[in-house]
Formats: sequence, structure tokens, C-alpha cells
Amino acid sequence: MSGAGFDNLKTLIVEDNAHMRSLLRALLNSAGIKDIAEAANGQAAIEVLRERKSELVLTDLAMKPMDGIEFTRYVRTSEHSPNPFVPIVMISGHTERHRVEAARDAGVTEFLAKPITAQALFARIAEIVERPRAFVRCESYFGPDRRRRLTDDYAGPWRRQNDFQEVDVR
Amino acid sequence: MTGKKQDAAKFIPPNAYPQMLAKRDAAQALKALQSAQTAAKAAVAMQACLAPMREAVLAYVGELERAGSDMTKVFESAHEIRGIAETGGLITVGRLSENLCHYMDAMDRMGRTPDPAVVALHVSAVVRAAKSGEDGMGAVVTAELSALVARKLGGLKAGQP
Repeated sequence: MSGAGFDNLKTLIVEDNAHMRSLLRALLNSAGIKDIAEAANGQAAIEVLRERKSELVLTDLAMKPMDGIEFTRYVRTSEHSPNPFVPIVMISGHTERHRVEAARDAGVTEFLAKPITAQALFARIAEIVERPRAFVRCESYFGPDRRRRLTDDYAGPWRRQNDFQEVDVR
Repeated sequence: MTGKKQDAAKFIPPNAYPQMLAKRDAAQALKALQSAQTAAKAAVAMQACLAPMREAVLAYVGELERAGSDMTKVFESAHEIRGIAETGGLITVGRLSENLCHYMDAMDRMGRTPDPAVVALHVSAVVRAAKSGEDGMGAVVTAELSALVARKLGGLKAGQP
């Protein structure tokens, strides 16, 4: 029996630009993702999350009164968060290194730079479907494992219980 | 050992938390994401958004032009433009705005006020590119302004005024 694909997937778009929201909705629709809610900023998105389950979130970074970083932090760490494990794709024109790192440290699953293309958006979603990330919980962070690549010159401490077991850190 | 308490991390593998899709749905979903039919539908969707996106960019360019010396407004407008201009087919407008945002962000991080002349050059180039419908000079102007920004930022980092 074949699966339902994206038929039942509940998605939330958080973006203050109405044109970008329309474009994202249209692109998701073309892949068969139809159950989509929208919010214009992080604060409104939290309200939506409280009332409606969301299994995939696409969020912008720069929004007022609550931006995408703060929203992501809320989703990952608030005791009121309905789903701290929900995949979050941050889509932003703010591609400066420090902003991407801030997004990563807030707990985003994927980062997509604007201008967006259908191919890049679908690749990020495919990555989430195909290779779901492990999560890490420590005093200062909760979110997807930030070590995506194992480098030979990594000089930091190996602190996780599983570090010496076989772990897919890609 | 320093005696400092380590921030011990707990590792939660993907099979220990609810996934976005059930396994049998995931295969179907991947097929959809990678299919030629989806790509074709997405291309149509992008095409349909082109005209409204372009109109929105032109409205933001108007805001940028009116922002004058208000650097917060300049940055906000330029940021909106860089986000959607290239999607709306205005490649040069997008790249010039990206360059302006990069410059203003770097200056802000250095605790400096952006040079009004550098900002004005970018704003006028964005306005010209938007009004001329990308006249072919865009790549040259973008390259020149990128070099100017690199020189300015490089000079500041090297301690020159």
C-alpha cells in the first residue's frame, strides 16, 4: 500500500511579507502540501501553534514584534511549546554568518537563503524527510544536532555519552 | 581537568521523537518532491508570482528612495527588496540591495555609522536599475559598488578612518 505522502501534513508559514507567503504556499501546494496555516510574525505563530498542530514550520527571520530566532527559541525551549521537535526551516535574506549562526543556535533545522527557488526549498524539505536530525539537550541548548559534519581537525571536547558510539554526524 | 562542571549533553536519536511523516508517507513524499511533475507545477507557481512580486519590489524601491537619511528605514527597505527582488526577476536590484544590506550590517557590527555617500550611491543605483528594468549595466555597477564596500570595510578593519 502506498502512503499518503504530504496529504495530511500540517504546515505553518511564518512570514511578514504577504507576497512571500503566497509564493511559499504556492510552492508547497505544487508538492502536494495543502494543509497550510499562515502567521505574519513569531507572536502570531505561537497563537496558531497553540490552536493547531503543526508538523513543519517555515519561518522568516526578520519580523516584528517577534522575529524568527525568538520564535524558534520559544518552540524549542518553552514549557508551553506544543512540539519542541517540529522541523523548522528558516528562510531569510539575512545571510550574514552571525545571523545564520544565531538561527542555528536557536535550534532551526534547516536554513534557506532568499531569493528562494523551488528546487532549494524542496531540497530542504527532502533533507528533513530523508535524514531526520538527532536532537541534543544540554544546559545551554535544545535543538537539532549542530554537528552536521565530522571534521578531522575538530579540537573541541567530546562530551556526549554517545560520542564514542556510532553516531551519524555527517 | 579544570574542575569546571561540563555542560553534559543528552543525545536524542530520530527514532526517539515523533517524526514529521510516518515511514510509508515519507517515501511517497520524497517521490513527490523529486518528481518532474512537481517541478513543472512549481515553475508555474513561481511564474504566477513574478508580476505581483515585481510590483511589490517597485513599491519598496519607492520607500527606499523616500527613506533619505533615515538609516533604519533605508536598511528595512533594502532588506525587503533583497528578499524578493531576484524572485521577481529583478536580479540587479536584488544584488545591489544585498550589497547595501551587507555594508550597513557590517558597519552596525563595528559600531559605526554608515557613510552617507556609500548608502546614497547604492540607493540611486537600486532606483535606476528598478526604473530602467535592468538595462544591462547592472553587473558592472554591482561589481563597482561591491569593490567600494570591500575597500571601505577593509580600510576600517585595518584601522584607517
